[in-house]
Amino acid sequence: MRDARYAYAGTSRQVLAGVDLDVDAGRVVAVVGPNEAGKSTLCLVAAGLAPIAIGGRLEGSVLLAGDETAGLAAYQAAQRCGILFQNPATQLSGTTSTVWEEIAFGPRNLGLDIGAIVERVEGAMATLDIAGLADRDPQRLSGGQAQLVALASVLALRPSLLVLDEPTSQLDPAGTRLVGDALSRFAAENGTAVLLVEHKTGLVARIAGEVAVLVGGRIVERGPTAEILADPALAEHGVDPPPAVRIERAVAAAGRSGDLVGLDLAALEMEPITGSPLPTGAPLPTGTPA
Amino acid sequence: MIDAHRPGVVPDFVLRPPTGSYHALNPSTKLVLAFAEAAVAFGVRGWTGPLVVIAIVVATAMTARVGRSLVPFALAVIPLVASILLVNTFLFPGATDVIARIGPLAPTWTGLEAALQATLRVAAFALSVAVFALTTPTDDLLADMERRGLGRRGVFVIGAAIGMIPRMVERASEITDSQRARGLDTEGSRWRRIRGVVPLAAPMIIGALSEVEERTMALEARAFSAPGRRTILRPLPDSTGQRTARWAAGVGAIVLVAASIAGILPVP
Amino acid sequence: MSEPAILVEGVAFDYPRGVRALDGIDLRIDDGERVVVVGQNGSGKSTLVRQFNGLLRPTAGSVSINGRPIGRRHVADLAREVGLAFQNPDRQIFAGTVRAEVAFGPRNLGLSETERDAAVERALATVGLAGDEATNPYDLGFSRRKLLALASILAMDTPIVILDEPTTGQDARGIERVQRIVAELSGTGRTVIAVSHDMRFVAESFERVVVMRAGRIILDGTPADAFGEAAWPTLASTYLEPPLAARVGARLGLGATPTEAALVGALTARGTAGR
Repeated sequence: MRDARYAYAGTSRQVLAGVDLDVDAGRVVAVVGPNEAGKSTLCLVAAGLAPIAIGGRLEGSVLLAGDETAGLAAYQAAQRCGILFQNPATQLSGTTSTVWEEIAFGPRNLGLDIGAIVERVEGAMATLDIAGLADRDPQRLSGGQAQLVALASVLALRPSLLVLDEPTSQLDPAGTRLVGDALSRFAAENGTAVLLVEHKTGLVARIAGEVAVLVGGRIVERGPTAEILADPALAEHGVDPPPAVRIERAVAAAGRSGDLVGLDLAALEMEPITGSPLPTGAPLPTGTPA
Repeated sequence: MIDAHRPGVVPDFVLRPPTGSYHALNPSTKLVLAFAEAAVAFGVRGWTGPLVVIAIVVATAMTARVGRSLVPFALAVIPLVASILLVNTFLFPGATDVIARIGPLAPTWTGLEAALQATLRVAAFALSVAVFALTTPTDDLLADMERRGLGRRGVFVIGAAIGMIPRMVERASEITDSQRARGLDTEGSRWRRIRGVVPLAAPMIIGALSEVEERTMALEARAFSAPGRRTILRPLPDSTGQRTARWAAGVGAIVLVAASIAGILPVP
Repeated sequence: MSEPAILVEGVAFDYPRGVRALDGIDLRIDDGERVVVVGQNGSGKSTLVRQFNGLLRPTAGSVSINGRPIGRRHVADLAREVGLAFQNPDRQIFAGTVRAEVAFGPRNLGLSETERDAAVERALATVGLAGDEATNPYDLGFSRRKLLALASILAMDTPIVILDEPTTGQDARGIERVQRIVAELSGTGRTVIAVSHDMRFVAESFERVVVMRAGRIILDGTPADAFGEAAWPTLASTYLEPPLAARVGARLGLGATPTEAALVGALTARGTAGR
């Protein structure tokens, strides 16, 4: 994107006011910022849905795999860029009775032959490790599972860029972990370019190589993840640093940084909880006054 | 379950092979048969029309092994049937052959005969629709219509509309709960309940509309508006035999009904 | 001893299709407590709090509000005592202006116009929407719409306030605002109950954590109890994880440190003791 400016149809306010952004193959770029900074709009513009599918005025240049989005048809943009939104329910077509068919929805629309369709569906399921869900009813999945199915059905179009607009915001912790793990595996193993918009800076710290901060329709800061997330100015932009950074800062402010030496907080956060099972018969911890 | 599927081919749970010879008929064939049966049931006057249709439908149901599932459909028409019986028997205009006088009521034989015929017609229609519904999954019907040129948008609209109903019900109930929690009285007097229309309807409509935009984008993101025909995943075989049968059934039904209307059909 | 704000005795709840969502719940919440209910989706948290304002009625057992069993009281009537702010603001917003939306609740409760206006003003000030009375709710972003929905409950001035997932979908500022609101409500003596899966919010804003799984309460205690190492297997059984501060505290052998402040406090105390 170069100097991208965008206003929604029927409005005059430019939600994006001059954005420069590159996402290269194999890189994960995260975009953070307060609500109403234009992050969702950025996703729509990057994917070409704005202006192709929803109208509005786009100025500046947005290139997807080398071609200006303004000149593409929606289905062409879809093959270059896949997009995943927050709400799992609205992304499923609602017309298929198995996950397999749901993932096949895109390739079928393109008129690919059966062999190619089977290959793409199986490929997408393998990438996200959801082959076990293939015969399930898409409407009866948990939020996290539904998001993975929606993601798989987008990956079935083999886009070279993937845009994710707060994919875990509507999910509970279990769903967040499921999707977060799948994304981090995907990012590590794939050559796809990924643009991730997220509030959960912990997730950003885990999978993104670069972070851009979007405020008021402009990118105000950009750089390697660790640097940006550790920047004290982040809070002024209305973005919460990841828990690890916050704790390090709080501890440093109390002059106790020495106690944290040798402790990798980010890794600690990712450890699964073990802990000896409670001996049978032991009362569960409780502190309620009688 | 998934290990049972071989990689590299469309799995069985997607192909969903039909479970019987009637089931295996092309959906259009079953549809045309259902229409023909309904036409004869209502269009041929007298007893023969409905009785023949009922016989055919029941026989079909037994062969297709859905006989038992017809029962709920049959039960569902009972209220309608009961009202037909009552209205016609007791209130048939111009009938004079009274069965018995019960106070102010005068049921007539003519009325009763008309009532029973009407009942049979309704039953025949309902059962024929039932057999069609029980042997033809919606997916199949939509897929066949698409093959015959309905177009992916038409198919999507119908399929999505059907799937949308449980979601709308769930949304409606959540909206109602939210408004009740703010003091909207849905358990009190009728007048109070009428006042609740806007707070209940508005979020429903706004929500449905905003969902439309999201859904549209999700569809476009999956190449929904790509040109050309969608690939068919599930072959739905048709044959000359079935095509002939459809024509025969259609023409036959028209002929029977026309003959009956013209008064030249010599059956009771 | 005064009556508890909420008393749940032996409550079970089955959905019409036979799914047992609550299985023998006994819970007592006193006036002015700040309680949060946590647990995986399907553990019964939302089902439980909906028993408190009558949206759902127990299949067995009883619920009493301020000493009175709910019995057959209408939801609209219970709304005077128990306010419930839902997770999705778009499932309740219907008015054309922020003011009208917030006034809906007070109007239903039969307040006079002056009382209503005052309540609306107070509520909007609390959530930070004071200048936006005439704005169309859909011109506000999602975060602020959520605060609007919260304001519409606050305007009803109920002694008990229940917040269903107040921080989901909020950005950092929104979450801070919610935390301040919880503190303010508690400061005025109201009983605040929340359902949440944001463990940091849980640890920082509440004094009592109720953990649920499969329709039962499996742990009921302070954040220190709930996030201390001994409770981790219990948390894991309902797909929850302790906040990072608790993990760090456990790793460093500091005892229970559910919040950053507690962690820093424990480190400082150890440092001073070691001197």
